[in-house]
Amino acid sequence: MDYIVAILLPQMLHGLVFGAALGLLALGLTVVFGLLGVMNIAHGELFMLGAYFGIVVIGLTQSFWMALILAPLLVGVVGALMEMFTLRPLYKREPLYGLILTFGLALALREIVREIWGGDMRRILEPITGSVPLLGMIYPRYRLFLLAASLLLLLAIWLFFTKTRAGIIVRAAVQDAEMLDGLGVNVPRVFTLTFAGSAALAALAGLLLAPVFTVVPTMGVEMILLAFIVVILGGMGSLGGSVLAALVIGQAQSLFSLWMNPQRVAIAIFAIMIFVLIVRPRGFFGREGVLE
Amino acid sequence: MAVSRAVSVAVALVLALAMASPAPAQETIKIGDLGSKVGVFEGYGKYQTMGAVLAVEELNAKGGVLGKKLEVVSEDDDTKPGPAVRKAEKLILQDGVKLLIGAVSSGATMAVMDVTKKHKVIHWNSISCAEFMRTTKYHPYYFSNQPDSRMQANGLVKYVLDKMGKKVYIFYTDYAMGQSDGRQFKTALEKLGGEVVGVAGAPLDTKDFTPWFGAIKASNPEVLFLAFAGTDSLRLMTQLHSFGMTKQYKLAGIDCFLLQQDLPAIAEPMEGFVQLNHFSPYNPDKDMQAFTERFKKRWGVVPNMATGSYDGVLFWAEAVKKAGSFDADKVSKALEGMCLDNTHIGRQCIRPEDHQMVMDMHLYRIEKGKNTPIARIEGKDSIGEPMVGKDPVEGFTWELKKK
Repeated sequence: MDYIVAILLPQMLHGLVFGAALGLLALGLTVVFGLLGVMNIAHGELFMLGAYFGIVVIGLTQSFWMALILAPLLVGVVGALMEMFTLRPLYKREPLYGLILTFGLALALREIVREIWGGDMRRILEPITGSVPLLGMIYPRYRLFLLAASLLLLLAIWLFFTKTRAGIIVRAAVQDAEMLDGLGVNVPRVFTLTFAGSAALAALAGLLLAPVFTVVPTMGVEMILLAFIVVILGGMGSLGGSVLAALVIGQAQSLFSLWMNPQRVAIAIFAIMIFVLIVRPRGFFGREGVLE
Repeated sequence: MAVSRAVSVAVALVLALAMASPAPAQETIKIGDLGSKVGVFEGYGKYQTMGAVLAVEELNAKGGVLGKKLEVVSEDDDTKPGPAVRKAEKLILQDGVKLLIGAVSSGATMAVMDVTKKHKVIHWNSISCAEFMRTTKYHPYYFSNQPDSRMQANGLVKYVLDKMGKKVYIFYTDYAMGQSDGRQFKTALEKLGGEVVGVAGAPLDTKDFTPWFGAIKASNPEVLFLAFAGTDSLRLMTQLHSFGMTKQYKLAGIDCFLLQQDLPAIAEPMEGFVQLNHFSPYNPDKDMQAFTERFKKRWGVVPNMATGSYDGVLFWAEAVKKAGSFDADKVSKALEGMCLDNTHIGRQCIRPEDHQMVMDMHLYRIEKGKNTPIARIEGKDSIGEPMVGKDPVEGFTWELKKK
């Protein structure tokens, strides 16, 4: 009993915090894949840009909260430009082109950031400091805020896709873009806005996680790998699947850490992914045919 | 394409010209300063430079060495063995350094030892602490005034067992330095009757340590022994503190855990932390105070354990004078057994057998962001027997001995 309260529960809470934040990152990835058919390798760099733009805004306004609003908007603009000027010409070609393009964009963005801000590690101070007693342990307030913010955002995204007209149009575009075009919807604009939204979401995740981790040009690389695993596990293009998979990965990472060195946990996570890919290639909720 | 070709042709021409022109008569003798100047260990690398430059300026003010002025050439090694080797070769072959100080990371230093051995250049280590450098990797041109892991463990363990607790969890940074510190600490602790209740390594530059915390709590230690350095330590302490674990356990760590400069920023998490160190600007020792004054006057900041490079330059210069030559074999011989009075911690001597400085160390407790001395450990009690060529970790295992 003591073991459950003192060890297991806190560890599961760590996993939940991390999983929820990972879910934010993976959601954008999976929406873009579902809609544009592009596996956006540069998604991790948009995550990283969120943190750097956040540093700039914090420098100008001294406010983390302003940064939390402005940085994702700015990164959203970057995303929109990326979609309009680089991805759009490639839609009619094989998916491989998009993969290679975004891989190149990722390298370029990382090096541009290194050029502007340098390769040194930077920190963003936690806007909410201190810790609170919780379930017999001590937990940092900021991580609880991170959890609440991530869960609220996930809920908001779910409401957006199910309850708003704009969200329903995006889902319709995922199903059949040509039909939507025939119905008089400006589909290219839907694509651009969706990509921009996904970029903004990545940026938001980057900035929310920045006080816990640290800000370096390569911070996206470490996260994007996990986000890809989440998207594959959840089922390419499936929103619910991605959220579920992110929470599963978060729990797997922190619970396995109790019994093996967290360094080796990455192997276990890959093992889960390989297993799922063999047994059920479409992932938890993936559409048939995407990877089968 | 045409432009880049034109540029490369131009570069090649310039290089060819530079190589073809006769070398100017060497006015100055160069000293290489190699290590982490950016990234996770940049603090150490930058203070290493300051220490070396201060010594060079003091020597130059007195006319240099054998009538030649000295000059420091600094290089960053990206905290990795590969780049460290390339930069060491650049310093030796291109700049012609007669003394190479560095590197910061133990992994890089050990890799550089192969280079200094091959090219016969005096190699001074003043920060790295893996146990292989004065044992299996030892070569006659290598010298160190940094207490290695074995020396640190010998110095720290007795205090931990007497004053802090018997049940210890060892948490280390998983590369040469941390592994070495973890091993030596475990060996020394078990020898004196302590119990290691758990061990774990975290990769260099870990961002989030919370996945490790569950296992630490589950093993229920009294003392957490931490072998981390640089920004890793900074993040680890901040996270331990925010989860209430700095209050829950007694904490002890290695000398390079955090530099004095980093302490005020995380004074609260570090309060009560016991750290072994050979130097602190807050030690009332008169030699340390005198050095601190000179250092502060030159650089505007207080020195720390990473400024031992100062002694490296002084010892080398004294040996060159004694040998009357810059020849590495002669200088190496002159350095063996040499003692100097004016180092950054007062009188020190080099042990001839393994070229290790026999350094007195202190235990410090961190109080309000300052390293305050609580006990002195004689160098002769902690240095251990010379083990040149012998495996310092023979028979070692990470397995826990259940009590």
